Amino acid sequence: MADPPAFESPVVTIGRAAGAGSITLTDESATTKASVRAADGTPAASALGLTFGCAEARGDVLVARTRPDEWMVFGTSQAVAAHLGGLDLSGYASTVDITHSRLMFRITGLAAAKAMAKVCSIDFSDPMMPSGACVGASVAKVGCDIIRHDIDDVPSYRILCDRSFGQYLFDALVDAKAEFG
Amino acid sequence: MLLVPCPNCGPRNASDMSYGGEPHSRPDPNTASPEQWRTYLYLRDNESGWITEKWYCSSGCRKHFKLERHTLTGELRNPPLPGNKTGGHK
Ligand SMILES: [Zn+2]
Repeated sequence: MADPPAFESPVVTIGRAAGAGSITLTDESATTKASVRAADGTPAASALGLTFGCAEARGDVLVARTRPDEWMVFGTSQAVAAHLGGLDLSGYASTVDITHSRLMFRITGLAAAKAMAKVCSIDFSDPMMPSGACVGASVAKVGCDIIRHDIDDVPSYRILCDRSFGQYLFDALVDAKAEFG
Repeated sequence: MLLVPCPNCGPRNASDMSYGGEPHSRPDPNTASPEQWRTYLYLRDNESGWITEKWYCSSGCRKHFKLERHTLTGELRNPPLPGNKTGGHK
């Protein structure tokens, strides 16, 4: 099988001051992303585990249970392939590479939750949304998956959305974080 | 703002949900009369008080569920337990 085309993000970040200030916003869309749908009781669901709404790093990949019957796996293409390669897909279970259909941004900083709260109705307080939590929610009216995965105790949120909304959402997040310097 | 208690996601803003309205069973298209179809498609009970209604957690867990809402006060109650696909009462 031919290699898939190299990933090119459609999001223009240059000139958007994405990295300036105390909150950084980065486009991490090139990260390989896989979705696993698996019904209750299937071997794949048991192997991936986690409670709905939770995420954890496993070696080189990040695994998040974003729906009761859906997991997402992020990492390099080799790491994701290695993690999912041995998965038993018997029963109602399947994996799809969603690298090219979903974009991923990462917003990091002590005030990142305040910026997120401007565009999303989720409670981003630590007890409700600790590191290792994930939710599906609308961000600036775009249906997104949000995964909190802190970097050295600094709050950091990965935000995934459909590719076609990427530039709008990126610009909306730049706008939301602007007042926090 | 209406806080809808999703059985999987917990209380969420109704803007994260899609409203499904009153649940009515669909009549058999082979035997239903035009009156029955019209009733099914267009007529609603519109009761004052507690009603059972459908919601879809469109941006959260993407599950359908039923719960009860008081049409005068807006109170919501009796969401199903997590994992219970139908839920609600009646
Ligand atoms: Zn939900």
